[in-house]
Amino acid sequence: MSMNAQDLLDKLEKEYPNTPQYEIATFKGTRISLGHSIENRRKGVLEVKAMNLFWNIPNRPSQSFVADKWTARIALEYGISDRLTFGAGGSTLDGIFDGFLKYNLIRQRKDAKGAPISITLFQNGSYRSMTSGLHSNINLSDDFMDRTAFTSQILIARKFTPQFSLQVSPTFIHRSSSAFDEDPNNHFALGIGARYKVGGHISIVSEYYYQANPLKSIDTYDAFVLGVNWEMSDLMLQFQMTNARGMVEDTFITQTPNNFNLSDGNFVFGFNATFVLHFNQKQP
Amino acid sequence: MNRIIILLSLLINFIDADNRSDQVITRQGQVSFFSYTSVENIEAKNNQVLSIIDFSKNEIAISMLMNAFVFKKSLMHEHFNESYIESDLYPKATFQGNIIDFDPLAEGIQTKMVKGTLTIRDIAKEVEIKTSIENNNGTYLITGDFEVVVKDFDIKIPPILAPNIAKIISIKFRFEYQPYEQ
Repeated sequence: MSMNAQDLLDKLEKEYPNTPQYEIATFKGTRISLGHSIENRRKGVLEVKAMNLFWNIPNRPSQSFVADKWTARIALEYGISDRLTFGAGGSTLDGIFDGFLKYNLIRQRKDAKGAPISITLFQNGSYRSMTSGLHSNINLSDDFMDRTAFTSQILIARKFTPQFSLQVSPTFIHRSSSAFDEDPNNHFALGIGARYKVGGHISIVSEYYYQANPLKSIDTYDAFVLGVNWEMSDLMLQFQMTNARGMVEDTFITQTPNNFNLSDGNFVFGFNATFVLHFNQKQP
Repeated sequence: MNRIIILLSLLINFIDADNRSDQVITRQGQVSFFSYTSVENIEAKNNQVLSIIDFSKNEIAISMLMNAFVFKKSLMHEHFNESYIESDLYPKATFQGNIIDFDPLAEGIQTKMVKGTLTIRDIAKEVEIKTSIENNNGTYLITGDFEVVVKDFDIKIPPILAPNIAKIISIKFRFEYQPYEQ
């Protein structure tokens, strides 16, 4: 190749317009694994989600198939705009219904000029439809409002390299009522999550949620997740090992009843299956 | 003396201007690609392709950003950039080559071979593409299509998705050039 053609390419290099280039696929999924990531799906995209957790009850002569306990959160999450997502779901075992709004405030730019981080605001509300059982005992159940809890998060993330992304999630949780006087109604927590892409379609993810003021009436532990995400075509699968037993923020952040280890009763296996439907297809 | 300098500078300007008019450019070139399989048809289009031709040597250069391809499905755009092309690491695709036996002064349509190097994901491949070039009063329209083999550019497709993505991708292009002004 002659020198001149290279000169022509160099000339073209200067012709690129100065349009900002934003990072994509900081986490790829709208959840790191269990908790929300900064990602939103684009406008007109519906995610059909089945999140599952399985665990055993210790010292029990169990005849259950595979696992003693199974809970699933079935949810629909829709991109109202490229930056705003609305979602609602229900969890089977604890009977919790939740709805959320998620708004992407700042997008990380690839060039040095723009924002070095992405910020997404998250707000949910949850309702405990059961009066007792998993995750429900710490609330009063006299009227509708008593059974609600609200989680606000500021999700802050940076894609450091094409492989590695990190997120911190300052979290505020408000429970509308407490069955026990010693329990705080407001909790502060800090989530830390990371993704490491190991192949074109596979990444390893981890999350940890530190509670600043945990519940006092029961022993709770910080939620931890170690998982693998498999992202392909219209289907995303997320596998996880965790100690959490709920899939709604206020439950797994403040009410995880045991620490993370591999013994029966503590170990929880989970997987999320997300099917992505595009209702607003562009004509290329 | 002053006159000579003015004359000289005019002459130089003239030569310079003449050189410049030898080059034509487009900033809105179109490149689309198609992957047809029995399972799924995928198409994408990039409307912001840059290209320049130097007629003094009949040399052509093309450059484009991979993340400027628009897909029907927004998630496909993410998969394309993050899982296949890895546009974080290889943001651009380029072509540099020569138009063989082309007469830039002849009006009308000429069908010519373009020979050169196509670079995707930092992997360079020699290609020869049959193109139609239309000279319409100093603006040039170049169109054509060709095929690339996915494997040539080390693009990894997981076995489970192999039926969804064609092994050979067809590519169409359309560039409308205007005289290049510095």
